[in-house]
Amino acid sequence: MLRFAVRRVATSIFLLVATSALVFFVLRLLPGDPVITNLGATPGVSPQTIARLRHEAGLDRPILTQYLKWMAAALHGDLGKSYFSQYPVSDLIRSRFAATAELAFLGVSLSAVFAIPGALWAARHPKGVVDTSLDAFWTVTLSLPAFIAGIFLTYFLAVKAGLLPTRGYVPFVDDPVDNLKHFVLPAFTLALAGAPLLYRFLRASLLEQMSESYVRTARGKGLTERPVVIRHAFRNSLGPFLTMLGLIVGYTLGGSVIIEYVFGIPGLGSLAIESVLKRDYNILQSVVILVSAIFILTSLVVDIVYAALDPRHRLQRSSS
Amino acid sequence: MSDAVVTTAAAEERRLSVRLPRRTGAIVAGSLLAVIVLACIFAPLLTSYAPNAIDPSIAFQSPSWAHLFGTDELGRDLFSRVLYGGRITLGAAVGATALSLVLGVAWGFGAALGVPLMDEVLMRTADVAMAIPQILFGLVFIAAFGTDLVNLIVVVGICLSPTSGRLVRSVVLAEREADYVRAAVAFGATRWSIAAKEIFPNTTAHLGVLAAINMANAVLLEASFSFVGLGVQPPRASWGTILQQGYLYIYQAFYYVLFPALAIVVTMLLLNIVARSLQSAPGGRG
Repeated sequence: MLRFAVRRVATSIFLLVATSALVFFVLRLLPGDPVITNLGATPGVSPQTIARLRHEAGLDRPILTQYLKWMAAALHGDLGKSYFSQYPVSDLIRSRFAATAELAFLGVSLSAVFAIPGALWAARHPKGVVDTSLDAFWTVTLSLPAFIAGIFLTYFLAVKAGLLPTRGYVPFVDDPVDNLKHFVLPAFTLALAGAPLLYRFLRASLLEQMSESYVRTARGKGLTERPVVIRHAFRNSLGPFLTMLGLIVGYTLGGSVIIEYVFGIPGLGSLAIESVLKRDYNILQSVVILVSAIFILTSLVVDIVYAALDPRHRLQRSSS
Repeated sequence: MSDAVVTTAAAEERRLSVRLPRRTGAIVAGSLLAVIVLACIFAPLLTSYAPNAIDPSIAFQSPSWAHLFGTDELGRDLFSRVLYGGRITLGAAVGATALSLVLGVAWGFGAALGVPLMDEVLMRTADVAMAIPQILFGLVFIAAFGTDLVNLIVVVGICLSPTSGRLVRSVVLAEREADYVRAAVAFGATRWSIAAKEIFPNTTAHLGVLAAINMANAVLLEASFSFVGLGVQPPRASWGTILQQGYLYIYQAFYYVLFPALAIVVTMLLLNIVARSLQSAPGGRG
């Protein structure tokens, strides 16, 4: 177990370093930097001023030096400053983090809530009415891009019916009820994208378990179907289910970028979009690296929990 | 003996009846897709309005026979805009799909047939690229390249290439064990000529499925980036940009977002159906 955990942590550290390097270098791949973007078109700015500003921002040094300096500072919690507003990036991220975290948490939880009961039912009655109609329903939602589903839901539930606010955000500490009202539509939208993947995966893995001999034994000793599915088959599907849930976290974090934009939520995703529009590298790279890091760490935790639950998993992984 | 013939005939019939709906589905979906593509290509024949012709006196008209999809805030005909926008969206999607296939084939063949170190490097690179959520991965490249139609095609192609590379690698690894490859080895063919002349032709069925899936995702990515203002830029219009503009007027005119949204959803759905049926078609092992 320890060997597995150490290997797995090492892989994650490699992924963290490599993703941050990839993002950092790609952003500096092509000519054109923020100082010039910001001031280049302004008349009366002397080349000396531009040179001084580029020097202050560290843009005149070799890319590898810039990367190592950035990395060293980032490990101390200093992500640099925004090239434009001059606010520390870490402050900007802190002010946007709560909204994204809440949205992603609600989105992933709702995905699980939508997926699990149906999958358990479908596994008990495969090819039944519920199974067939759920399959049809999720097939449609799977082809429906989340942000378009979000637009339609906004129109019917918020604009037409007036049940919910169309867009905007209220911090949870200010007014929990209003906060949740604003999150209903975006979280539901994200779940429409995550739940079908989770549902299909869980259903397939439950059905696989149902043909195992231990299920036959459980039935043979006289158990009814409900405990057979829940206590035996579901328990054995938990590992793969967790793995899939980890992937859904990444999927939801990516999807929330556009969803935040649709619903006017001031989170990390909308911060990333704003920073691209202004070519504010410092913000963009920190947001992308942070979100990727959350995804990488989630996968790490999922894998270690899985290995703790099921020794076969760690044997499989370390032998491959 | 006649019994055996009857049973095989019955089995054959059952097999066909199972397969038939899917086949029909593929044909229907493919034809509808062709209708959409042709409608966009021959847009000037289907509509007399120029997509950018402004006429404020007829702003925000609901769908009617004169304006099938209604008109927007400047009185432009939305039916023309969606048709002409489809040229940009579908054209960009075809370009991005082609790029993702080229990159994916190079990536997958290189990893599957190269030296072990090459495989390791290429696959870890794919892991790294896939550790970044796709939209954010795309945003990084858009920030580096700038917003422009050609850049958008390149960025979407790059976004789709790591998954494509992985899939191609797994297909090539499976094909590599086939007898015809061993035979070619026995004949003394070199590794890369086997790759090009023997293995590649045998992966085309899989590449077809991959192309349909990538094309659906390319339509989605184009729409997503354009919707947030980082894709196709005005005066060019794509389904994503029309959707973005329409969303501003969702209180006044729902049809404004409805039609570009439907164009995106229907195209993606049809592409997904085609991909699914190609996957289960007799030629496509997978």
